[in-house]
Amino acid sequence: MLKVDIKKKLKHFQLDTKFEVGTGITGIIGPSGCGKSVTLQCLAGLLSPEYGEILLNNAPLYHSQHRINVKSRNRKIGYVFQNYALFPHLTVEKNIEYGLKGKTNVEKKQKVSNMVKKVQLSGYENFYPNQLSGGQQQRVALARTLVTEPDLLLLDEPFSALDHHVKHILEQELLNILKENYSGIVLLVTHNMEEAYRLCDHLILYDQGQIIQSGSKDAVFRKPENISAAKIIGCKNIIPVNSISEVEDHIKCDIYGLTVKVGRQPISNNTTHVGIYSENIRFRKFDFPSDNMFSFTVTEVVKGVHQTNVSIDVENILNLHVSVPNNEVDRILKEEVKVELSPSHLFLLEGQ
Amino acid sequence: MFEGINLFPLFLSLRVALTATLFAFIIGIPIAYYLSRSNGRVADIIDTIITLPIVLPPTVLGYYLLVLLGRQSTIGKFLEERFDITIVFTPAGAVIAALVVSIPFLIKSARSAFAGIDPTLLNAARVLGRNELNIFLTIIIPLAWRGIVAGITLGFARALGDFGATLMVAGSIPNQTMTMPIAIYDALLAGDRELANILVFIMTVVSISILYIINRLEKRMIKGNG
Repeated sequence: MLKVDIKKKLKHFQLDTKFEVGTGITGIIGPSGCGKSVTLQCLAGLLSPEYGEILLNNAPLYHSQHRINVKSRNRKIGYVFQNYALFPHLTVEKNIEYGLKGKTNVEKKQKVSNMVKKVQLSGYENFYPNQLSGGQQQRVALARTLVTEPDLLLLDEPFSALDHHVKHILEQELLNILKENYSGIVLLVTHNMEEAYRLCDHLILYDQGQIIQSGSKDAVFRKPENISAAKIIGCKNIIPVNSISEVEDHIKCDIYGLTVKVGRQPISNNTTHVGIYSENIRFRKFDFPSDNMFSFTVTEVVKGVHQTNVSIDVENILNLHVSVPNNEVDRILKEEVKVELSPSHLFLLEGQ
Repeated sequence: MFEGINLFPLFLSLRVALTATLFAFIIGIPIAYYLSRSNGRVADIIDTIITLPIVLPPTVLGYYLLVLLGRQSTIGKFLEERFDITIVFTPAGAVIAALVVSIPFLIKSARSAFAGIDPTLLNAARVLGRNELNIFLTIIIPLAWRGIVAGITLGFARALGDFGATLMVAGSIPNQTMTMPIAIYDALLAGDRELANILVFIMTVVSISILYIINRLEKRMIKGNG
C-alpha cells in the first residue's frame, strides 16, 4: 500500500496531491506539465516535497514533520524513465546488473541471466544500448528495475519514445512482463488516455497539480465528474446547461431552449455542464423511437484512418462532434436525418 | 646524433610538464565538475578567471605570477620564511607557470565532457541504489573520460611548450630552470644552429605524437557515444 499526501511549490502552481494505491497498475493521467512526473520524482526521492508524508507499506519514506527523507538509493523503488536512461557505456548485462550491488557474483549472474530470459533478450547480453531497438531498450530498462525487486514500480511515459506502429505490441509485452514478474504497486504516468485505458486498473486524473478525480478505470471513463476530468479523458462534447431539474425517473436539462433528458444521477450545486462522448452520439432515422432526437446540419467532415469526425449543428443551438466509422459515413449522411443523444450516455459535470 | 648534447632541458621540460599536468588534474577535475553542474554568476566568474590564461599573453601572465609569488610578495615571503621554499627562478616556479597556462585546457575539455552527461542517468543510478561517489566513479568518469584525456593531453602539450610565462617566473638558468623552448631560443641566440635543429626536431616529434593521440581519441569518442 502506498499512501501519499504531499505539497510542493512548482513554477506555475502548487502540487497538492493525496492518494492511496494498492497493488495493480494505477495510471496518473493529465496534460503535460500538470505535475505528474514531479509526483513520481518525489516518490523516488529525486525531488523533495515541502510538506506532507509518503508511506510505502507502512514505512515512512518522507515525513515533513518528523524530518524523514529517505535517500533515493534506500527507497527500494523502481523507476523506468521516459527515455529509459540506460547507461550507454555498459552492455545489456552490465546495465541489468547495476542495481545488484552488494550481492555475490554468483547470485548476480544467476539473477541477471534469469531476467534476460524473462524479457526475451537472450543473445543480446553483450550488446550496447545504442545497438538495440526502442522496444528492446525499454525491456532492458524494465529488467534493470525488476531485477532489484522493488516495492513500488514507477513508469514515466513508457511509450512516448516509441514509434506509433510498435506501441500496441509493446504495451501488450509490458503488461505480460509485469503480470508474470511483478506483484507490487505500479504507478504509470501518461498523457495518453487511450494508453491509460489499455494498461491501467485504476486512474488518477491530474490537472494543475491537483487530483480532479480518481477511481477504477471503468468508473472514471463511464462518468467523469467534472469538466477538467472529461477533457482529460477525451470527451469532446461538453455542453453548458442553463437549468437542471429532477423529474420523476430522470433529469431534465435546458440548453438554450433545447430540452434534453438525462438518465438519473446525482446533481450537486456545482453541476453546470452535461457531456457525451463523440462515439456515443448516434445518427437515426426520423421515426426512431427515443428521447432526445434532434434535427441537425453537418458543418464539417474530417476523415481519419478508421474514424470520421463529423461536426454538426443541432437545432441551430449546439455544436457537437460525432465519431463515425469510415465505412458508414456516406450511408449515414445520406440516409439519417436525426441525431440521438441517448439519456443513458449523457453525464452531468461539475464546473470549475 | 645526440652525442655531446645536453639533454637536461628535455628532461626538465618533461618533468615540469608532467608535474604541472598532475596538479592540473587534481585541481582541475573538481572545478570542471562544479562548473558543469552550475550556471550561476559565481560559476561564470570562476570560468572567466580560469579561461583568462588562454587569452592573456604569457609574459603578462608571468608578470602577474612574479608579482604574486615573488620574494617580496606576501605569499613569497610566507613560503620562504615558513617553509624555506622559493618559487621564482626555481623548477617549482616553472611548474607553477606551466600549471597556470595549461589548466584552462583541461578544465574546458573536462567541463564539456561532464556537462554532456544526461542527468537522468545519474538519477537512474541513484534509484538503483548507488551512492554519489560510486556514481561518480562508475558513470560520470567512464562517460567523460575521453574528454578528460583529451584535456589532459592538450594541457600537457601546452605545459611542455610554454616559453613566456616560464621565462618570466623561472628564468633561464642552465641546468636548473632552462626548459626546452628556452634552450632552443638560447641555442639560436648563441649561433648553435646544430643544437637548435636537434631540439626543434625533438619538440616537433613530441608535438606531432600528442596531436595524433588526440585525434585518435576524438574519433573513438564519436564512435563510442554514437
